[in-house]
Amino acid sequence: MVIPMYPKIEIDRSKCTVPFDCKRCLQICPQAVFDVRPIKMTRLVETDRKEPGAYQLFALYRDKCTGCDQCVVVCPVDALRVIC
Amino acid sequence: MCGVCEKRGDGMLWYLNPNNYGRSMYKMRPPGEKPVMETPPAEGGGGLLDAAIEAKCEGDLETFRTLTKQMDDGFVTSGHQCSILPLEDCYQVAELASPMAAMHCICRKRTRGREEDESNYSCLGIGTGMLKWERWPERYKGGVKFLSIQETKDWLKYWDDKGMVHMIMNYGGQIGGICNCDYPDCIMIRYRLDYGMDQCLIRSHYVPVVDYDLCTGCGTCVQRCQFGAIKFEITIEKTNIDLYRCFGCGVCETGCPTGAITLVDRASLPGMKNVW
Repeated sequence: MVIPMYPKIEIDRSKCTVPFDCKRCLQICPQAVFDVRPIKMTRLVETDRKEPGAYQLFALYRDKCTGCDQCVVVCPVDALRVIC
Repeated sequence: MCGVCEKRGDGMLWYLNPNNYGRSMYKMRPPGEKPVMETPPAEGGGGLLDAAIEAKCEGDLETFRTLTKQMDDGFVTSGHQCSILPLEDCYQVAELASPMAAMHCICRKRTRGREEDESNYSCLGIGTGMLKWERWPERYKGGVKFLSIQETKDWLKYWDDKGMVHMIMNYGGQIGGICNCDYPDCIMIRYRLDYGMDQCLIRSHYVPVVDYDLCTGCGTCVQRCQFGAIKFEITIEKTNIDLYRCFGCGVCETGCPTGAITLVDRASLPGMKNVW
């Protein structure tokens, strides 16, 4: 059985610091590969979208990625690499 | 009767059983016990699905199947099984449930970074827990908007007109809300269609039937189906619904301009009565 080559999506978290505030890749991806989650939570306080590192971007559904590179093009901080 | 009805229905459809509204989801905390916090995911992912998809991409399909099965079994054990509901049944839920509040959709927030406000809230929270939404500012980002029964029906109709699929959320037998979903934004639809988790999302108790005398082959239903179950069959120039792919959401029925599609009881078709 031939296993398809799934593209690997590298996210440079030192550059991608406020993904929920930016969300360009999340919205442009034709396959909806990305997932954004708050990773710092304080009881009774809404997570600050502008606090660096409070939200993190994941390429969760990367088995759906086609390698179209639209996320790479749209990223304002050059944090994404799609390796095929 | 679906698996949830067998467990929670007391002889009726589980989501119309008043015993499943409110109550144990909002139990009082024993004195001195610390509240359970929403736990943020570990840095770098760490969830079962992250590991499963990583395994799939590495070609380790056995691990992928083991982990997705484990997740799927978890939905049954915890009773967190959602169900697709046609609009008419949503109206019946709106008559039973109280309070009801429109709120932002957590799936759309995660997959598309979407932020909603009072003008476009797409999810509906049900039950007394909504009265203390301020305690979870992350979950109820932007607040909530309490709706009357009629407002809820109008709101459901608004999303149905847009073509959204209605899904009732079940938290271990307690009804927590109704969301308006589409693919791929909805995490539950995705879990089932893309990752084969058949227990997290259950089909509705209805199936659509096409009256070929009324169908003009306009294709509106094809466009509205979120499950890829409907095709325009060129040979007969009519619509063709694959009931084994269909989830019975009824969005094709509400959108059909000639009324050619009707929903019938799933149990009335011998081949479909055990397909959930």
